[in-house]
Amino acid sequence: MRQEVIVIGGGIAGLQCARELHQAGREVLVLERARGVGGRLATRRYEGQPIDFGPMFIHGQNPAFLKAVKGTEGVIFPSAWPRYLQGHGQPCQPNAFEGEEQRAILPAGLNAFAKDLAADLKVQLQTTVTQVTPDAEGFALTTEAGQTFLCRDLVVALALEETLALLATMPVQPELVGIQALLGMFASVPSLTLLAAYPREVPAPEWDILYPDQSASLQLISQDSRKRESPEFITLVIQGRPGWSAQRMALPNEVWAAELLKLAAEQVGAWVNQPLWTSPHRWRYARVDRGNELSRPILTTFDNGLRLGLAGDVFSPGGGVQAAWLSGSALAHRLLNEVRL
Amino acid sequence: MTTMDSRLQELVERDRSHECQGFGQDHVCVRVVAVAKLPSRFGDFRIVAFWNNRDQKDHIAIVHGDVVGAEDVPVRVHSECLTGDVIGSLRCDCRDQLETALQKIGQMERGVVLYLRQEGRGIGLANKIRAYALQDQGMDTVEANLALGFRDDERDYAIAAHMLQSLGIGSVHLMTNNPAKVQQLEQYGINVSRRLPHLLPPNPHNRFYLETKAQRSGHFIDFTGLPRLQEQSDPVIIEGMPE
Repeated sequence: MRQEVIVIGGGIAGLQCARELHQAGREVLVLERARGVGGRLATRRYEGQPIDFGPMFIHGQNPAFLKAVKGTEGVIFPSAWPRYLQGHGQPCQPNAFEGEEQRAILPAGLNAFAKDLAADLKVQLQTTVTQVTPDAEGFALTTEAGQTFLCRDLVVALALEETLALLATMPVQPELVGIQALLGMFASVPSLTLLAAYPREVPAPEWDILYPDQSASLQLISQDSRKRESPEFITLVIQGRPGWSAQRMALPNEVWAAELLKLAAEQVGAWVNQPLWTSPHRWRYARVDRGNELSRPILTTFDNGLRLGLAGDVFSPGGGVQAAWLSGSALAHRLLNEVRL
Repeated sequence: MTTMDSRLQELVERDRSHECQGFGQDHVCVRVVAVAKLPSRFGDFRIVAFWNNRDQKDHIAIVHGDVVGAEDVPVRVHSECLTGDVIGSLRCDCRDQLETALQKIGQMERGVVLYLRQEGRGIGLANKIRAYALQDQGMDTVEANLALGFRDDERDYAIAAHMLQSLGIGSVHLMTNNPAKVQQLEQYGINVSRRLPHLLPPNPHNRFYLETKAQRSGHFIDFTGLPRLQEQSDPVIIEGMPE
């Protein structure tokens, strides 16, 4: 299938890039591996009740980004949220609670922001690109299911390591060597995450997010149900610290999940050990840490005029959802405004 | 206290509640927050600390003589370079550029060095060292360096312009080898009455500039075989070097 632009990765960076290209009249197709868009801005449901298990909230200060977030139906910028911040541990992004940062939540789940961005876009889900080959006609993409695509402009908007893995499927190109060396100096950190649901009767604490200050294992515990209007269940999302998570990445889910639950019970109370339901999730490339970011997306033009753009949370300062969005936006701007060499 | 010192101190008082539209795309606003004497090996200076509304970096003006309300004040805008300024790195000429500016201004009637604290566009030192690491591997691509966050002149000069305005300087003699800088400052309403070329005295570390021809696009390869970087976005000119 021939396309003008293909975006690999339907996370926030890819969606925003595709959206701006689409709005400028470009014909864009987004290829997404999962069953839904949003990437790490992830929400799932237990008995219909949304649970955010990637970021716990969206935060930022960039006016254009905040405007986009504010456009999502149902979004709330609670003035004093998280309402009770217990512990003195660090949030994943240390700047999340600084001066001009605004924090947003969505009662329908944070993933609704991604769905909103994707609303007018052509997105093909459950499509994993396994091979990229630039030739005279364009970038030829092959998917796991054996489908092929062709495009003149290709945007890769995956987690950093996944982007590198995809670039490695391409034949060696002088244009790519420097970029691969550059990206090779950066890395994402993992986070093992456990979702747990409890009956409403449990003695739920009076805080929204706990950042344990002394724990070498726990990054945070989010009482997700406090983001919902009249929740049926008390729900917790427990996220492990990067170092702790990295050590357990190869273990079976039930091993580290039991460990996370026990650690959370030590912080919150014994009732945490008795969930109605749990669900583990491995964020192998959860986020980039501060100091591990580039200032802008990459756009490189091959000899025959094909253009390869890279966006994602590593391609803008600050990391997180805002950085992903800004990098996608910046890349679209460059694709639309830079003259093809 | 001399009148000069009291004039500077009054700026702190004046700026306590200063708020403005801000300069440039980022709407940068600065306030004079502290002033003190700073005798240095380069002369007798006052150091002026600025607060800004964009980041936690304290920008600095190093002032010699009475500049508040003065015209034709020699000004050098220097961007922080930890490796060059402090450690004496020979991958750039920042230290020579800074020292020469302080030396020259220290011997003039008056003048200002604006020292902007924004190494690597606020992303920090790590990316500059990554850029060096890429160079060490023989990879020096424009795209990689831009992505790493090399200097954002637009923002540098917006801050510089606001700092000069806050100091009450009427017009400046800008010490730079880059005529484009004159326009950048003027675009923010600073009256640049003259450009003073910023010539560095020759020394054993920059002698190669006089002996070798520049490679493509003004790149100089130094004694160590590494390209010498122009981190002040200001071409290096050594006294005696053909321009």
